[in-house]
Amino acid sequence: MQALLYPKTYSFRRRPENILAACLLPRRESVVAQNFYKGRWSYTAFVAPILLLIGMFFYIPVFLSFFWSFFLERPFGGGSEFVGFQNYARILGDPEFWSAMRRTLLFMVIAPGLAIGVSLVLALAVNRGLRGSHAARNIIIWPKAVAGASIGVVFVFIFDPFLGVFQSINAIFPGLWNPRVDGTDAFITIVIAQIWNGIPFNFIILLSGLQTIPDTLTKAAAMDGAGPWRRIVDIELPLLTPQLFLTFVLEFVGTIVEAFGLIDTMTQGGPGGATNLLIYKIYSDGFKAYDLSGAATQTAILTIFVTVMVLLQFRLEKHVKYER
Amino acid sequence: MKPGKIILASIVFAGQSSLATAEDIEFWYGNTGTIEAAIQTACEAFNESQSEHSVTCVGQGGYEPAMQKAIAAYRSQQHPVMIQLFDAGTLDLMLSDAVVPVQDIMPDVDWNDYLGGARSYYETSTGAMFSQPYNGSTLIFYANMDALGEVGVTEIPDTYEGVVEVARQLKENGHSCPVLQRVHPWFSLEQFSARHGEPIATNGNGYSGLDAEYVFNEGLVAEHLTNIAAWREEGLFRLPVDTEGEKNAFNTGECAMLETSTGAYGGTYAALGDSVGVGLAPVYEGYERHNTLIGGASIWVMKGHGDAEYSAASAFLEFVRQDAQQIEFTRTTGNLPVTKSALETLRGSDEAGAIEFATAELGVTSLSQPGDDNSRGIRLGFYVQFRDIFVEEVTKAMNEEQSVQEALDAAAGRGNELLRRFEQTYAGVALP
Repeated sequence: MQALLYPKTYSFRRRPENILAACLLPRRESVVAQNFYKGRWSYTAFVAPILLLIGMFFYIPVFLSFFWSFFLERPFGGGSEFVGFQNYARILGDPEFWSAMRRTLLFMVIAPGLAIGVSLVLALAVNRGLRGSHAARNIIIWPKAVAGASIGVVFVFIFDPFLGVFQSINAIFPGLWNPRVDGTDAFITIVIAQIWNGIPFNFIILLSGLQTIPDTLTKAAAMDGAGPWRRIVDIELPLLTPQLFLTFVLEFVGTIVEAFGLIDTMTQGGPGGATNLLIYKIYSDGFKAYDLSGAATQTAILTIFVTVMVLLQFRLEKHVKYER
Repeated sequence: MKPGKIILASIVFAGQSSLATAEDIEFWYGNTGTIEAAIQTACEAFNESQSEHSVTCVGQGGYEPAMQKAIAAYRSQQHPVMIQLFDAGTLDLMLSDAVVPVQDIMPDVDWNDYLGGARSYYETSTGAMFSQPYNGSTLIFYANMDALGEVGVTEIPDTYEGVVEVARQLKENGHSCPVLQRVHPWFSLEQFSARHGEPIATNGNGYSGLDAEYVFNEGLVAEHLTNIAAWREEGLFRLPVDTEGEKNAFNTGECAMLETSTGAYGGTYAALGDSVGVGLAPVYEGYERHNTLIGGASIWVMKGHGDAEYSAASAFLEFVRQDAQQIEFTRTTGNLPVTKSALETLRGSDEAGAIEFATAELGVTSLSQPGDDNSRGIRLGFYVQFRDIFVEEVTKAMNEEQSVQEALDAAAGRGNELLRRFEQTYAGVALP
């Protein structure tokens, strides 16, 4: 059973949850003593529920979406016609698909970049033990407990052109800020909400990484005359690459799918389609427009896209140094 | 117990589902708020009125979720006997092969008693009713008579030229929002085209064939939306996004005039009291006034149930069709009576002049204007998605990312792609 689940040691290490474990635990303990459980039934019992859930809500739907993408499916069933690659031709020839894809890519670069950047600055500050950092360490984590949809509801109010924080700017320059009608403004509000949503987790991971860097290194560097900036660039960041890589992987892939709750509560893809990311377009095409074939095809394309992104990221992992 | 047995037991347990008795049927509806309360009241009244059948009425939280759940339920054979669905999904349901025409299970009902505007939207090309009109509404014009009075206007204008003239006076008097205008196609395309007798699509808006094509981008609709953009620039018209109260900016007193549903009267009267005035929705000078379309929803009977269920469904549909039930529904929701007999009964009663019925007569008048092929209704496939496309493109135009003409051309082009895909999806299926 062990051999079946983890055929080679390196593949065990590369799983995101194990990278997480590797980041949080000392190296030796992360490769858990593999004879901990006696008897093969124990493994099965512990793994079965989650495998069953993942199977039902992930693998089977993904498989079905690939299957349906070759059919023209009637919403209520009854007549489904095999059309080969016609759905793919339609989707790939649809400018709306490409603009949703462009928006998704833009969102994928901006939101994780800033969410990790801001978290890194906060983590570095707290790690230096600046005044108030003890309180900040707690407070910054709290937003993790807020669901994406709730964040959406709150941010709609915060960025309301008449009631929110930019009300005063609108009073001076009327109509300058209006995410209800201006696509760029709406996109900015989604990005900010996503960043705010991502900071707590990234902060915890990066801070824990920083705190495992041995004191002796920074002290030695300080004695050699390296200032705080020099120490960050030459010591802390290079030693933080495992944690940076983890946050990068999770944020990058997460933004593709997690933005759904924010979009649904804040903009419903509008105004004028400006926040219609691929994940939301799939939902609205499939469930609001009864285009099951088109939605299935886009899901298949999205699955391939995410897989390729993850594979690319793991090529990047070759540059990550886990040894200290 | 071995883990394998635990898993097996939980699967068996999860597979248990409640089996309804033959006479106990479900009715799914989409509305929320006051209309939901009225539907629940009607269900209770039905269950108390007789002991043979029992209907459980289940709210689905909106028209679109109701449709989504109906699709999912039908595909897994867990669907209810009756479902209330909205106007825009009419053709999708007609061709779904998931519904039984109400006229087939209740051939003895006098379906001609339904008002023309309600019939034409839900009947087949041969005049058979596919679903039973339930909560009907239509577009009328609202004015805040106090605001109009400040510039000496006492009559509600019934032409766009008149509306603009009053709007200019209001603006000169310092009013920040003379007219609140929605760009959603129900207001700016469907009801507008119908009452001007202009086509949205060829084939009489799709009534005579699935090969219809959108044509609204040439002609009066394009002119009207270009006008709206210009009037917005001038400060006469405001979109909900431009106002503090958004869609409620008329009720908050922020805006002075508005085109909206008869069903909105209750909320508006509660907010503004006697200063609310209502009239027929404006038309452009030189155009003959046609009927507006019936909005709201109708009740559909779904396939795959037995005779006992259908007889329960028939009893429920008979019940909600009764004059007294319709009048009660109108009183609490501001929706319109949908049969001639209910309308006559209401007219003959002492209550006809009551404030709750203020829009009933006007709404029916609007529905009963002379009609033509372009004012029967909308019979276009994937129309729900088209509505979203229309809003998306016109919003871009209102944000000056493209011209109004470009927006309408793009919407028509994308809409035509939907129509062609719909045609292909239902290849070989005849339009009923």
